[in-house]
Amino acid sequence: MFDTKKFIEETTLQLKKDIDGETLIAFSGGVDSTVCAVLVNKAIGKQLIAVHVDTGYMRKNESENVKKLMKKLGLNFRFIDASKDFYKALKGVEDPEKKRKIIGEKFVRVFEKVADEEKIKYLVQGTIAPDWIESGGALRDTIKSHHNVGGLPKKMKLKLVEPLRDLYKDEVRKIARVLEIPVSERQPFPGPGLAIRIIGEATPERTEIVREACDIVEKEIESAVKNELMEMPWQYFAVLLPVKSVGVHGDKRAYGNVIAVRAVQSIDAMTCAFSKIPDEVIDNISTRITNTMKDKINRVVYDVTNKPPGTVEWE
Amino acid sequence: MVKIYVVDNGGQWTHREWRTLRDLNVDTKIVSNTTSFKDLLSEDINGLVLSGGAPRIGLDGKLGNCAEYLKKAKFPILGICAGHQFMARFFGGEVKPSKIPEFGKIELTLLIENNPLFENVPKKSTIWESHNDEVTALPKTFELLAESQNCKIQAMRHKKKPFYGLQFHPEVEHTECGEQIFKNFVKLCD
Repeated sequence: MFDTKKFIEETTLQLKKDIDGETLIAFSGGVDSTVCAVLVNKAIGKQLIAVHVDTGYMRKNESENVKKLMKKLGLNFRFIDASKDFYKALKGVEDPEKKRKIIGEKFVRVFEKVADEEKIKYLVQGTIAPDWIESGGALRDTIKSHHNVGGLPKKMKLKLVEPLRDLYKDEVRKIARVLEIPVSERQPFPGPGLAIRIIGEATPERTEIVREACDIVEKEIESAVKNELMEMPWQYFAVLLPVKSVGVHGDKRAYGNVIAVRAVQSIDAMTCAFSKIPDEVIDNISTRITNTMKDKINRVVYDVTNKPPGTVEWE
Repeated sequence: MVKIYVVDNGGQWTHREWRTLRDLNVDTKIVSNTTSFKDLLSEDINGLVLSGGAPRIGLDGKLGNCAEYLKKAKFPILGICAGHQFMARFFGGEVKPSKIPEFGKIELTLLIENNPLFENVPKKSTIWESHNDEVTALPKTFELLAESQNCKIQAMRHKKKPFYGLQFHPEVEHTECGEQIFKNFVKLCD
């Protein structure tokens, strides 16, 4: 079985050997990067700077919460709002692989800027097994370029350190529990963020729509789990589709966007089954989205695809 | 400690095979399929898993040095997906694109009782699939062990050698008896 204590001890020792100088960690506030930050912090302490980038594609209030988390963990941190840059870089981009690669490169350029200012040599990332497996290379086909692997630019000044490369999310969570990290049970959120939950161009306007819809899905499902109506899915969110449909609002014709709701069960994201959400819960999600976002969304569908053949995120 | 290596044919779940074996306290490592048989022997392994891989490599062409392993090995080998298809082709069977490819949740039916690889696996169970091709004709030296509705050769074994092939994926979480099948394979290697 996977031995968390041994992993923590061995990794901390290895990090002390591998890292010789100022280091930056790409900090999203999710379970992978937080576990990484705590391990590297244990190993090299003040030489570590955590950098959180607000890409503009974060969930509601996310960056504010991440700031609080970095303070709570006692990390030396920088907070960078690069949302305008990211929106500009993704203008007119519809292809999901292009989106992922542009975002991967943007992240690295932001980190390099901090690195130049602070004379940093190493970049720590919370990369885990599915990230490099799905990014492909050599014999392996590219399913999607994870921004932190397949999305990295070919030329990079910083040396990469990825202590969680061989782990899956359930193992990272086990370490997080041992380290008493508050976000140990948090659902995964992809690095490219909401940009890959908008099919087609990820404009600021469409980002606002999917941000609101994701927030509703999260709140409704978390409340249903709390009321013991269903088990906690591995991941649950909304996707904004590039189609419009006709509706009727108060005897008037409506013509609006469609939201797909996705929720899946898994332990490691390598295979997933769609969540069997009770009708009552899916009903609440649908009514709340179409009523509170009526000018924008007039139809909600539920995604009933397993992985394979689907993947968790749509892009 | 029993030692079983995983030969990487470029599958999405190669690393999962490694993880499943590690969780069963097997001494395991992922090795490239270009590793020579001599190098594998020098590590005193007790068994080998041939992973699945990117589309169509089971259909034609080479699969690294897998042919050499199948020719020379005396220890048990478990071929999964493309590894299974290659095994069938190597021993004279036939592999073709599936008329109805299978992805995700499928029901497996065992056709033979008391096979050591399927010990403690019920006659019907849920398995997870992901394949475009399949074995359409069994090699003469092999015996059929299991089927699904749309794929008649889901599991097979060599009649004389300790070689097994599975079209489905016992290494993934959603295959109900996957861990049991790996346990049984480990036992065969021990």
